[in-house]
Amino acid sequence: MGDLLDRDLISNLPQSIIESILTRLPIRDAIRTSCLSTKWRYKWTTLTHLAFDEKCVTLSNDRTLVERSLIDFITRALFLHQGPVHKFQLSTSYLQSCPDIDQWILFLSRNDIKELVLELGEGEWFRVPSCLFYCKKLTRLELFRCELDPPPAFKGFLCLKSLNLHQVLVAPDAIESLISGCPLLESLALSYFDSLALNIRAPNLKYLCLEGEFKDICLENTPLLVAISVAMYVTDDIAEHFEQSSNCNFIKFLGGIPRLERLVGHIYFTKYLSIGNDQGILPITYNHLKIIELYQVSFEDMKEILVVLRLITNSPNLQELQISGSSNTLAAIEASDLDFWEKQCPSDCAFGRLKVVKMTDMSGVPHEMEFIKFLLKKSPVLETMSITPYAYVLDGRLNMLIELVSFKRASPEAEILFIQD
Amino acid sequence: MLRLKSYSEVTLVPTDSQMMKSYIWLQTADGSIQQVEQEVAMFCPMICQENIQKGMGSSKNHAISLPERVNTAMLSLIIDYCRFHQVPGRSNKECKAFDEKYIRMDTKKLCELTSAADSLQLKPLVDLTSRALARIIEGKTPEEIREIFHLPDDLTEEEKLEPLKNSTDDPRIRLLNRLYARKRRELQEREKLKNAELEEERSDDRSVDDLLSFINGEIGDSKGIKTSKNKKKNRRRKDQQKNTCLYEANEIHEESSNLKFACPGDEVNKFRASPSLTLKLQDLNDDGLEDMVEFDDGDIDDEIDPALKEKIDREVEDFARRLNSDWPQRIQEILALGQERRRVPVSINGRDSMRRYA
Repeated sequence: MGDLLDRDLISNLPQSIIESILTRLPIRDAIRTSCLSTKWRYKWTTLTHLAFDEKCVTLSNDRTLVERSLIDFITRALFLHQGPVHKFQLSTSYLQSCPDIDQWILFLSRNDIKELVLELGEGEWFRVPSCLFYCKKLTRLELFRCELDPPPAFKGFLCLKSLNLHQVLVAPDAIESLISGCPLLESLALSYFDSLALNIRAPNLKYLCLEGEFKDICLENTPLLVAISVAMYVTDDIAEHFEQSSNCNFIKFLGGIPRLERLVGHIYFTKYLSIGNDQGILPITYNHLKIIELYQVSFEDMKEILVVLRLITNSPNLQELQISGSSNTLAAIEASDLDFWEKQCPSDCAFGRLKVVKMTDMSGVPHEMEFIKFLLKKSPVLETMSITPYAYVLDGRLNMLIELVSFKRASPEAEILFIQD
Repeated sequence: MLRLKSYSEVTLVPTDSQMMKSYIWLQTADGSIQQVEQEVAMFCPMICQENIQKGMGSSKNHAISLPERVNTAMLSLIIDYCRFHQVPGRSNKECKAFDEKYIRMDTKKLCELTSAADSLQLKPLVDLTSRALARIIEGKTPEEIREIFHLPDDLTEEEKLEPLKNSTDDPRIRLLNRLYARKRRELQEREKLKNAELEEERSDDRSVDDLLSFINGEIGDSKGIKTSKNKKKNRRRKDQQKNTCLYEANEIHEESSNLKFACPGDEVNKFRASPSLTLKLQDLNDDGLEDMVEFDDGDIDDEIDPALKEKIDREVEDFARRLNSDWPQRIQEILALGQERRRVPVSINGRDSMRRYA
């Protein structure tokens, strides 16, 4: 038997390595190592990262059975666990609202939890217990399909760096005070909120990702923002609200973020920015903005084009531009203000660093073509201009090509790629 | 072309080499010293620290002593890793391709490498090896893992069952588990015994008869084995008594302990001849209570190839038979075989037989 001890390849490695190996196993395999030998009996119990999903138990058609076994599994695992749990992740569609989750969160709140990810199933959304708000060391919180109701005395998570709320029911002012109550917050993602008017005050925020029906977004205090991704959906209510608004959304949203490096906007984003947009000189230059991606830009709406122009003319170091069109072709062809491009378009600008441009979903309508022409004329170091026509436009493609070929290029290196699939 | 190096050593450098290379001297635990290009060696934080903070490694006499876990073979592997990765500007794809190829080695080396890399604080390599070891462990049964890493199978049945137990708490199932597990253990121990003997046979070239006499002669040892089993049995008895289904437990336990001390051959027969037992468990499996069985993997899952199992059964039976299945018969055999040699007719069945027949 002594010989066997010498032959044992792995049990005597330092605990940090064992944990490094066990953390890379699915939790079920990690716990099963307790069957291996006496030395391995409790090696898994001090793991600080625990990630559970339905693969921990045998699946079957009986949903209640799976739910029950999963709950048992997790409860037993936590009960056998020793020491702090720094990271806890639960991702399963089999669990929704059940009292056991409350107990697990209570357990975690007493064990120095730092990162908590709860991704639960459709159905009744889980109402997060108040003990979550006493997890003082929390640095990362991700909730999917939960109800969040901070107690009145709650001031914020002082260590929280990353907050991701996806389909979470929470009162609008609670969200705002939650965000502003987390002074170290660097990354914020909010998705599928309904009709939210949001004021974001987060002095350390670097990454922002918003998706949903937002009535209003104001980046009141986010001087360090580096990357933004916004997808705005619009309901009739919101559309009405848009019409009546008198603020300059462009300034409200993009006015206070000089460090921006990457901007991504989907769906109604450019429309949103176009509201109240004035033509004045922008008080801010985006010196670090390198990548702009704007999707669903309606080229028949002059206002949206102006937003795009305002953005790119104030970004001297722009390197990559991607725009996808969403033009109502009929309206677009009737475009009457085509003389804008000759008369009012900013002529003294040059995109000195712009290398790559991708135009997708192009219908070939006049404003789109003029815009492309404009870019080609003003980009001395352009390398690639790729154009992908809108899938359902088949007739106009030849015309598009004929026009493209005639455009002057400021950059001798510029290649125009017309992408057909 | 001759180049003068900074430590007044002169080396021949190929003419197309562009710069003077400096080397770091490293000494492994076995005393051998070698030199490695500086930029390669400095990729290891521990070596870097020794060199910068303590000024070690600049000459042969002041070679950096590497930790014990880094032997020459491991050092060579680690240097290969460092040599590739310290080159700046490698693409992700290149690094991944290299890592995939690099990590292909036998498990023993992999474990040693993890240990060595850890002692040199080379985190990227520790991560890579940990990932590889995790991939090896993932999805395997405890039996398989024990075999790969040469782990001793020294847990009791209860301990093996413990971690995350049955999702159903039917006491009958637990009982059946225990019984089955115990029987498996018996079989395995006999097999081990048999294998131990077979090994000896191979190395010594002695006949089985010689071994029989050897075993018979070594009364103390076999008794010892039995006593330890006795102790286990007693402990389990105590545990059993705490069981809620006390009555049933003791009943079955009595039965099984009797079986243990009956002739091994018979027991093996009983084992095979109790299809009801095996079937029951199979039924339970089919009912989807697989979780329960999962943690008995090492014992319940029929890992041994059935053909091999048959063979083992037969061998064990044969061996048992030759040992002491039936005492009178045994005496006959011994007398028949033992014309040249004298043997003390002692049975391994230590409980009562000796007194009865002595």
